[in-house]
Amino acid sequence: MDREAQPDLQVDVLPAPGADGVQLDRLHFEVLNSIVLKKMASAGSVSSATGVTLAEVDGAMRDLEQAGHIVLVGEQALAGDSAQGRVEEYAAECYAELRRDGEAVRLADQFEVVNRRFLDALALWHQVDVGGRKVTNDHGDPEYDAKVVTRVDRAVQQLCDILGALSRRDPRFERYARRLEVAMRRVDEGDTAYVSTPTVDSVHNVWFEFHEDLLRTMGRARRE
Amino acid sequence: MSDAVGVRPGSPVSVLPAVRCVLAFGEADHRQVRLLGGKGAGLARLTAEGLPVPPGFIITTDACRGVMAEGAVPAGLLDEVLDHLATLERHTGKSFGSGPVPLLISVRSGAPVSMPGMMDTVLNLGLNRETAVAIAEASGDLRFMADVLVRFHRMYSEIVLGASGDVIAEAVGDLGDRVRSATDPGALYDELWALCQRAVDDDAGEEVPSDPRRQLSGAIEAVFRSWNNRRAVTYRDFHRIPHDLGTAVVVQSMVFGNLGRPSGSGVVFTRNPVTGDPQLYGEYLEGGQGEDVVAGTATPEPIASAGARLPELFGELRDRCLQLERSLGDVLDIEFTVERGRLYLLQVRSAKRTPEAAIRIAADLLREARVEAGDALSAVSAGQIRQLERPQFAEGSVAAARAQGRLLTTGVGAAPGQVSGTLVLDADRAAQRAAHGEAVILARPITSPVDLHGMIAACGILTATGGATSHAAVVARALAKPCVVGCGEARIEPDRGRLAVGGRVVEEGDPISLDGLSGDVFTGALPMTAPAASNPDLGFLLAAADGRSGCRILGRVTTAEHVTTVLERGATGVVTSVDDVLAATGHLDGLIESLLAQRELDSLDLSRVEAVIAEVFEPLLRAAGSAEVGIRAIDFKADESRELMQQTQLLTHYPQLSVPVGLPALLSAQFAGLSTAAARSGHAGPIHLAVRHVSDPREARALRDLGSPGGRVRIGTYLTSPRGALLSGGIAEVSDVVWLEVRVMQAAMFGIPARQLLTQHPLDEYVKRGLIDTDPRFAIDPTLHSLLAAVATAAAEHPGCEIGMRLSGPVSEEIAATLHGLGFRLFAVDGDEVRPARLAFGRV
Repeated sequence: MDREAQPDLQVDVLPAPGADGVQLDRLHFEVLNSIVLKKMASAGSVSSATGVTLAEVDGAMRDLEQAGHIVLVGEQALAGDSAQGRVEEYAAECYAELRRDGEAVRLADQFEVVNRRFLDALALWHQVDVGGRKVTNDHGDPEYDAKVVTRVDRAVQQLCDILGALSRRDPRFERYARRLEVAMRRVDEGDTAYVSTPTVDSVHNVWFEFHEDLLRTMGRARRE
Repeated sequence: MSDAVGVRPGSPVSVLPAVRCVLAFGEADHRQVRLLGGKGAGLARLTAEGLPVPPGFIITTDACRGVMAEGAVPAGLLDEVLDHLATLERHTGKSFGSGPVPLLISVRSGAPVSMPGMMDTVLNLGLNRETAVAIAEASGDLRFMADVLVRFHRMYSEIVLGASGDVIAEAVGDLGDRVRSATDPGALYDELWALCQRAVDDDAGEEVPSDPRRQLSGAIEAVFRSWNNRRAVTYRDFHRIPHDLGTAVVVQSMVFGNLGRPSGSGVVFTRNPVTGDPQLYGEYLEGGQGEDVVAGTATPEPIASAGARLPELFGELRDRCLQLERSLGDVLDIEFTVERGRLYLLQVRSAKRTPEAAIRIAADLLREARVEAGDALSAVSAGQIRQLERPQFAEGSVAAARAQGRLLTTGVGAAPGQVSGTLVLDADRAAQRAAHGEAVILARPITSPVDLHGMIAACGILTATGGATSHAAVVARALAKPCVVGCGEARIEPDRGRLAVGGRVVEEGDPISLDGLSGDVFTGALPMTAPAASNPDLGFLLAAADGRSGCRILGRVTTAEHVTTVLERGATGVVTSVDDVLAATGHLDGLIESLLAQRELDSLDLSRVEAVIAEVFEPLLRAAGSAEVGIRAIDFKADESRELMQQTQLLTHYPQLSVPVGLPALLSAQFAGLSTAAARSGHAGPIHLAVRHVSDPREARALRDLGSPGGRVRIGTYLTSPRGALLSGGIAEVSDVVWLEVRVMQAAMFGIPARQLLTQHPLDEYVKRGLIDTDPRFAIDPTLHSLLAAVATAAAEHPGCEIGMRLSGPVSEEIAATLHGLGFRLFAVDGDEVRPARLAFGRV
């Protein structure tokens, strides 16, 4: 997005570093939020995580850099010191109503339950019980793995139901369901790295990001 | 997709050919895995061996194919199933759907290949009001009846109807309360059944049939339906498994460990799966059901004490275990139930085991002559050996650290492994320090996704909050990094750069140690050793491997200490390179500076280089004793020295360095320096200096002229190009030793940088996209075969020259097998791959 095309953005939406009290707009929030969640991200990965077009992400990144919220190092955008506070502020105002919405609160509580099941399933994915001792799963037993993946899949389906309900309140949550679907499909194809490997867009990585995002949206603190 | 295989109860008479689609366990031929599926074949085998398996039958994959062809379960199939059910009733003396002794059955899927998404087991099928009451009366236990009922309803709802099982658990609440206030089994059944049905109806808009026959047909349909569920179809598509392979259905009578006396359930391993000790190991729960043992809801007793009370029964169990272990040649994990004094084996599987146990068991089976050496070696994986190569705190060091008061705190061990490193409290700083080669332990008050890059960089992770199943624990386990979570008493203060426990403070930058199993955190570093080093069983197995393979394996080293370690790992010798040793002793930069400072090729003074080489190689050769030492000459062109040395500048200054024998003076200096070192060290084994990128016999001849004739240091050549391989006959004629660098050669065939063969990216993705049909990291490309054949011919024609294969990175079993098959017996591998390589070649 060319800056000329958005002459007001610099002035009204993104104050100079140090100034405060002026809100991000929706687009800039989504892009900044995604960068904060990933700490460091390319325009491409922000675009695929948010569903915002690459051109818009590029433009927003330039604006955010100008405002001092991020630093661009080559292809990568790094969240600056002010970034987290800024997305928290935005979330506090933008989601004030959502935080009081009984249905949203119920969904967030329900997530905690599903999250527990999911993490329990992942514990089984990484370690097997051998005569009472936990041993690293060498993935040599496809039947065992298939059972665990079924539990993971069940948890993912339950999260997708929650995401469906949440996205009726804010459509950006839909994106997580899409990403989980992609990761889960790769798992079902046999690419088990997509269960939990931290260096790819694995089911656990997407889940972990959503968890953080949900906590921020609802203004809750992480407990562990 | 869920209706891909629907059922039309009133469908016309089947057009299936008149083949039998249902076979009792005793009628089936266990070798027909394609027909019976994996589980069915296993049960048929146990039955054929006369083992006490609860009777049952298999609906074959033929039936599944028939159903797929017709789009419905044919009436004829259900009739056949009901016939078998009647036989089952006769054999067990129980009746399906009625009292006084009701027959309950389990239904499970069993495809010839296990795949995701297939239907899981439904237990306790056959419940209605009459059978529930009969069970309550037979067991005299209302709670048992209630458990069976709720468990069945939940499984059926979840697995067959696709409802959420949790809604049932929530609807029922505390079963104990309900049972305590009940007196009449019929009334209790009515109450629970109605509760469960309402919950499922609310959730899924469906109900569990109360007629046992309809329960059975529903479960069978669900198995067939699961064959075409989204996840299974995706898996088959991707792995090119034919969609008409089909799944079998296994129907088996249930036995109960809580009906009459003596009854009970247990799990037994034919040997201890933790230590490998050759004793039956397991637990027995008197009057309990199998799930109680697995779920840990009751406290079972050790097999040994149960055996003392019930010697006859457990004597039979022991005999059965030994019989099975002998016939299957493996350690087994067996679930069993005793019903009214009769022993039944419910499940027999290869036992999962710790790496230590795997090695002990394989060694014992070989010593006991239960298996051939090849089979014993197949029971151990390279991964298990690599786990034992991971350094741990040296014996006694934990006790010593405790005695010194260095135990800082104990949290929850979340990912096993022991590690020492520099304490860092911020993910960015952890990543920075790790990038400079420092071993870092990242400590965080709490972990969020923004800490991921720090966790990836760290060698150990510590958090103040969280349990064994927190996100931090998941990430740590996925990365196989030791992790301690939930250190509640530790105050981790990234802003102040310190970690405090009580009055004790550890500053960022201080060394700490953590044990990801026990959860202990120590101040300071602890001495480390690899457990593999002191494992006599591993030594025994690998000696057997060497005997089978007939291979000599050299390990790569850079220091004298490393030589000792690598020889302890069973290497017959070591390989190193002049540049590695100079770099490790801090002399490489000096050499480069001195080369860059000199201008005149004719008057190049390399006496200092010669002296340094003589000095640094002396201790290394002394450590090698009489073992063979192969040394690669300096290679400034090497991929791996791109960053280490000022490669571009040097090659601009000395273009001669781009060709193997371009700067003879530098080679002469290396020959001379090594000769001196060899003489001074008292090394008694063979030594050679190998020059990389040789591709012409004339180069090899030139090398021979540079080395002193009949001198101590033999002439070696390193082939890295297809030309070198094709001309290897002539090269071997004038060399003492020829090495072929397999990775570099593979990369040359593909025209991709050799370093990409040591990394995940980009080849993981590339191979998955199907753009190349060989993954050169794990298999020899067919295009290389003719070149390797030329090298093998050279080896045969020149027995005076030794020809070896240099492998880098983790040794691939497939590559090992191919090279061994071509007749190669000399290999050089990375230092920590010596043991895995010995195993890999022994398994060939």
